[in-house]
Amino acid sequence: MSERDRIPSTPLHVTINGRRQPVEDVPNELMMLDYLHEYRNLTGTRYGCGIGLCRACTVIVDHEDGTSEERRTCITGAHFFEGKSIRTVEGHAERDEDGEIASLSEVQQQFLEHFSFQCSYCAPGFVNAATVLVERLQREPVAREALEDTISDALEDHLCRCTGYVRYYRAVRDAVLATPGTIKEG
Amino acid sequence: MRRVLLMAGLLVAATGVARAADPGADTDRVERGRYLARAADCAACHTSEGGTPYAGGHPIETPFGTVYGTNITPDDDYGIGDYSADDFHRALTEGELPDGTQLYPAMPYTDYHGISRADSDALYAYFMSLDPVHQQSTQTDLAWPFSMRWTLNAWNWLFAPDDSDDSDESTADRGRYLVDTLGHCGACHTPRNAFGAVESDHRLEGAVIGGYEAPALTPDALAGRGWTASDLTRFLRDGRSPQGSMYSEMYPVFHHSTRYLREDDLSAMTHALLGDDPPEPTPLAAKSSTTDGQGAQLYLDNCAGCHGSDGRGVARVASAMPGNTTLRLDSPRNLVKVIHEGIEARSFGTFERVQAMPGFADDMDADQIAALATWLRQRWGGHDDTVDTAAVEDIIGASSD
Amino acid sequence: MTTFDASRRRFLKRSVIAGVSVYVANLGSPAFASLFEDKVLAPTDDVWRAGEGMRFRLDGIAKVTGSKVFARDIRARDMPHWPDQQSHAFILRATRCDARFTGIDLSALEDAGLEPDRVVTAQDMARDGIEVPVFYGAPFFLSEGETADYLGYPVAMLIYHDFVRYRLAKNRIRAADEAVVYGEATGYPEKSPYGAFRYIRVGGEDGYAPDVFSALQETVLYPDFRKRHPVWPEALENGKDGERAMHHAQQLADQLDSPDEDIFVFDGEYQTPYIDHFAMEADNTNAWHDPDTHDVHLVCGSQSPADMVKRMTPMLSDSGFESPRFFLHPTYTVGYGSKDNTIFPYYGLIAALYGDGRPVRLANDRFEQFQSTMKRHPFTIRNRLAVERDSGRFRVFKQELTANGGGRANFSNSVAFVGTTAAQGIYYMPSSDLIAKAAYSRMPEAGSMRGYGTIQTMAATELMVDEIAAAIGKDPMALRRANVFKSGMKNTQGAIPAGHLRGDEILERAEKHPIWRERETRKREYEAAHPQHRYGVGFACVQKDFGHGAEGVFSEVRLRPDGRIEIRNTGAEMGTGYSTSQAAVVSAWLGRAADVVQTAQTDWSDLAMFETASPYTISQSEQDEAARDPRWTPQLIQASSASNSAYYLSFPTIEAARVIFRHALWPEAEAYWRRGIGGGQARPYVLREADARWENGKLTANGMEPLSLAFLAERAHAAGRVTGVMAHAFNRWAWSRADFDIDGTSDNLPLDGLAVQYGRGAGPDKKAAMDTARGFHRLERRNVDYPSTQRNNAGVTYYSACGTLVELAVHTGTGEVSLLDHHSFLECGNPIVEELVHGQLEGGLAMGIGHALYEDMPLYEDGPGNGTWNINRYHIPRASEVAVWKQTAEILPALSRTDPPKGIAEVVMIPVAGAIGNAVAHAINHHFHRLPITPERIREVL
Repeated sequence: MSERDRIPSTPLHVTINGRRQPVEDVPNELMMLDYLHEYRNLTGTRYGCGIGLCRACTVIVDHEDGTSEERRTCITGAHFFEGKSIRTVEGHAERDEDGEIASLSEVQQQFLEHFSFQCSYCAPGFVNAATVLVERLQREPVAREALEDTISDALEDHLCRCTGYVRYYRAVRDAVLATPGTIKEG
Repeated sequence: MRRVLLMAGLLVAATGVARAADPGADTDRVERGRYLARAADCAACHTSEGGTPYAGGHPIETPFGTVYGTNITPDDDYGIGDYSADDFHRALTEGELPDGTQLYPAMPYTDYHGISRADSDALYAYFMSLDPVHQQSTQTDLAWPFSMRWTLNAWNWLFAPDDSDDSDESTADRGRYLVDTLGHCGACHTPRNAFGAVESDHRLEGAVIGGYEAPALTPDALAGRGWTASDLTRFLRDGRSPQGSMYSEMYPVFHHSTRYLREDDLSAMTHALLGDDPPEPTPLAAKSSTTDGQGAQLYLDNCAGCHGSDGRGVARVASAMPGNTTLRLDSPRNLVKVIHEGIEARSFGTFERVQAMPGFADDMDADQIAALATWLRQRWGGHDDTVDTAAVEDIIGASSD
Repeated sequence: MTTFDASRRRFLKRSVIAGVSVYVANLGSPAFASLFEDKVLAPTDDVWRAGEGMRFRLDGIAKVTGSKVFARDIRARDMPHWPDQQSHAFILRATRCDARFTGIDLSALEDAGLEPDRVVTAQDMARDGIEVPVFYGAPFFLSEGETADYLGYPVAMLIYHDFVRYRLAKNRIRAADEAVVYGEATGYPEKSPYGAFRYIRVGGEDGYAPDVFSALQETVLYPDFRKRHPVWPEALENGKDGERAMHHAQQLADQLDSPDEDIFVFDGEYQTPYIDHFAMEADNTNAWHDPDTHDVHLVCGSQSPADMVKRMTPMLSDSGFESPRFFLHPTYTVGYGSKDNTIFPYYGLIAALYGDGRPVRLANDRFEQFQSTMKRHPFTIRNRLAVERDSGRFRVFKQELTANGGGRANFSNSVAFVGTTAAQGIYYMPSSDLIAKAAYSRMPEAGSMRGYGTIQTMAATELMVDEIAAAIGKDPMALRRANVFKSGMKNTQGAIPAGHLRGDEILERAEKHPIWRERETRKREYEAAHPQHRYGVGFACVQKDFGHGAEGVFSEVRLRPDGRIEIRNTGAEMGTGYSTSQAAVVSAWLGRAADVVQTAQTDWSDLAMFETASPYTISQSEQDEAARDPRWTPQLIQASSASNSAYYLSFPTIEAARVIFRHALWPEAEAYWRRGIGGGQARPYVLREADARWENGKLTANGMEPLSLAFLAERAHAAGRVTGVMAHAFNRWAWSRADFDIDGTSDNLPLDGLAVQYGRGAGPDKKAAMDTARGFHRLERRNVDYPSTQRNNAGVTYYSACGTLVELAVHTGTGEVSLLDHHSFLECGNPIVEELVHGQLEGGLAMGIGHALYEDMPLYEDGPGNGTWNINRYHIPRASEVAVWKQTAEILPALSRTDPPKGIAEVVMIPVAGAIGNAVAHAINHHFHRLPITPERIREVL
């Protein structure tokens, strides 16, 4: 353990899914994905390629101004998130006091009803990307005829090997259309 | 078949010489022309992103405005279909079109001035062998007075070389021919004066174009950044070497040009750059540098995921940092630009694709970029100095215009 | 897939004497609640709607909320009874096959203070008697002084008892070449092929007449090998079967070599790409060797858990480690074949044995996954086909293929076999000579992968058909129609496929589709509007077998007194929706979907059945002798692969539900309806079991009062009727059958093993009979009838068909191909859950598009075995590349409501690959023989 103690570490303060996490010493060079998995036992954010390409490891970083962005945790250090607030796939559904799922988010519900995913390994990345998109469109609505292209642009980088993407894309379209204020009138 | 006949006819008509008598020679000439077109990197300007090669359209940023590469396929309306070999040679080496108008010097005819007539004819034969693409290239829009082509005649009178030596095939000459004439390396790597003309007495001493530094390629400068002849040859051939990978405007040079060159030509270019007796590469100075502090943590948070916490990178994925040429450059310009803007996904061959490096414009302010750049340069670039925030602001401010 | 696993008998014998008890604590037993399906699966009442079916996947809520569903998600602390502290391991692999491995050098790690807590090498295996199962060939680890058989051969495993040190060490050893030390140059290893075989058939007058010669009728040829080359029998007209076969082969060759004037002979060589599964969950295990009890626990996603148990138990018992009990915890996973009989979990098991009593997690990163996981076999295929110029009819088809199996034994023989026997596609071949060889090479091993040899051969066939059409001036669709395989005809093995084949119906539909009908107009218009593009339309259609040719399946269905339904089954959930469709299949007999589904179950000891020889190689007399024992079966459990879930794995589940219906629900309903004076409400009508219908979740027949399942279940339990059934079924291109006495009635059923459970009102005799571990009454079968062993030569009989029309544009300058649109036609019987079928189709199309346009790797030193491969270099199709918004599909209506559901997960990915090649040919008039069709390859021909 003496060598272990030599590994440079720093206390990390991060809020995940609305909860401040216990402050722990986290090695300076640890990637966020490892922190989520091994320190927080939040394994819904998935390791896919480790080089920031497949996006299975995407989480949402919420900014103070109300905007948010996707972040790839396999190539971003845990300490990048110092003082930040993030959402992971585990944080979207509402849960009752026992921690059981009470209701799903609009995006999750649409994914479910469209049979969007199969193995679901990539689903957390798609849930987060689609959520960021829907929230952005609430702030910056698009014309209906631009919706499909907008979805394609937002999700293009997310890889899936099972589904051929069709049911993800249709579900996101329905999620956007079901969310008030995302489409420009006229 | 019809097209081939038509082309043979064009060749005859254009050159006025009965060359079609030996179809084998024509095939050889076309192949030679294809190779020369690559060595001369014509595609870099005359091919748009995702477009048909040589059908024009690639924007070339100049200090005076944006120039668009023209369509040089043999289309009668929009290309060079009605050029004779003489017309072509004059345009290539003098910058003068058949109707007498003068090309913008974004076309490196001052460099191409030294292209031999035989090579010009081979290039001509090759371009005439392509499928004509009936597509008008984007019109160039330059700031006055450079939008007035007549002024270019005066420019030419002032700055264009008046003659050149015909090249023979000694390695040194071949290398110079590839570097200076066909490859027109000086177009970017030699500084230009206020009028946009290269300063020939500062050949390959480095320049800034499009916000990036085209580094000095003199023997001492290259050796000072740790380049050996074999690494340089490898860099040109593979687009990558232990010193890093090609990006920004250098990547298209690899993509369209150097990767196609024969090993002996690459060696000749290296020879021309490093000289007969290449200086010893300067070893990376062992600098003590901390592994903590703001710069170090910024590196771990934003870079180490791909480049490794020890900076060794990942083979075929991300460049190694120690001795990386971008870190060793005296100026932090390119390092700052790359951190700020990122690098697009690139292909270094069929099975050699590198994913995009994200830019950190939204994540790091000038202070942080300065801290990161300072730390990187000190840890793996052999520098002692500090990159200050103002310098970073200057660099990223200029690039965001 | 059909296995040539002659070693199975040996494993079975060993496991009998092994002394290791196997416990498969699935995601279902209360002891492991954190992992289990009762957490993963949503309540059926939320999911199932009468008349509507499954509204979403049973596992959907867990999956969309990021719950732990993969083995990859499991850590020691998630496992009850395991210590919390998790150890981690990774494997060092050789990247050279031309020099002796002389050892490992960990000085870089030691310098950084990151030396492993335990290093495991070949020396440990030798000392502790850990032997690789025969199926996998070469030893687990390369010994010092040896040259690696293949790139990526493991040389050592490094175990760390602390995550951070493991992570830092792995970060620093990513460029691991310097850690593996090589000595003397040896040159590359050479080895004999894994196997070869030949199917020769000479048909009769037409496809319906008896064959002159066929594999099914006479024999398949297996050659001897001399100097690594196959040697076939001598050709003799009146010799033994093999010699006669060669005589026919000689005559067919003559027809191809010196054809008549009116015959066109196509001759082309095809090369198929080197494909990685890219299952997003990379291989991983978490395993623990309990230092107190010495029990071994293994958490792992697998398509073949039963095979793992069968091989791991003898491996443990033969080793020097004490391990009285072995617990396997299968999880939900994803595979496309990559988790079918892979060697990876065995390394996980080894990690546990050397974990010093701590749970050890072994999880590939993506570079390691590319380096070590099984790949799709690259094929080299030479096709020759004699065609009548006038009629366009095919006459003689000859195929010679080599499947590159890589450096470690796996399913290469069977992939080559399945590939060549599928090569005919949807066409009738009057005569054929199919020669297939599975070859060794130093590339990482190839194994099971979606398509299993058939995407290689059938895509080539479809490319060939369009090229022939162009060569003899025929419309490609007309040429297809002239040769389409009709129901009742014989395949290239001489077998008659099951049921009605509908390839011709797909051709008819495709020909009427606007993409096909308007292709020339659209081409003119598109090219006028896009001067730098060439437009093309292509079509391809295939029919693909599903199933392995030996399908042993267990299933258990139990009806609780409150009407809840619980299912256990052998199949694994790999993302296909298997658990959802299993829940749904019982609704045909029980009126609603199941409430509990446990997948990947391997403990079926209640039925006390056993197997002896390989079902593929057993002789008829051996089978007849063995079948006298009522507990014998040709095969206990087949893996989840070969698109076998919808039909085969569902089969005993449906049969079990049917037994409950016939012996519990129907008698109770009838009794209720006949209650009262004079025969009750049933008397005025004629009441027939055949008229029974579930409507809105209630049972009715002939106008009787609808009764709910809960109502009937309660009464059936009270009456002590059959409320639980455990069944085993076996299929060898036909189901086995036997008589069973069920609760006083004799039934002839398509099952070879059966046990039942009675409700609480059962009498003491019946209760006493329920004496198995899970409380079942095991029934003795009588008059068992197994499909004859000769059917092994049939190759395949169960087919589903799929056709795809593709519309694309080729950029003449860059050679880039843009997929504009595609439309698919799928024939799948009655889908269990239609959305799942569409999902399989859409996903298969994307994979087929990757195969045709994007995915490939070098085979050897520059390929994935060198450990530098990831998806920056290996292009996985993106949404923008699959026509995500435009693509359409139609499922052919079933012939009737009684069509069985068919396996389709593989067939759906194949035609799009051929169709893309044919569309490119339409666009630029060049017929490619090599996939993928990359921009570079297009630029070369333009």
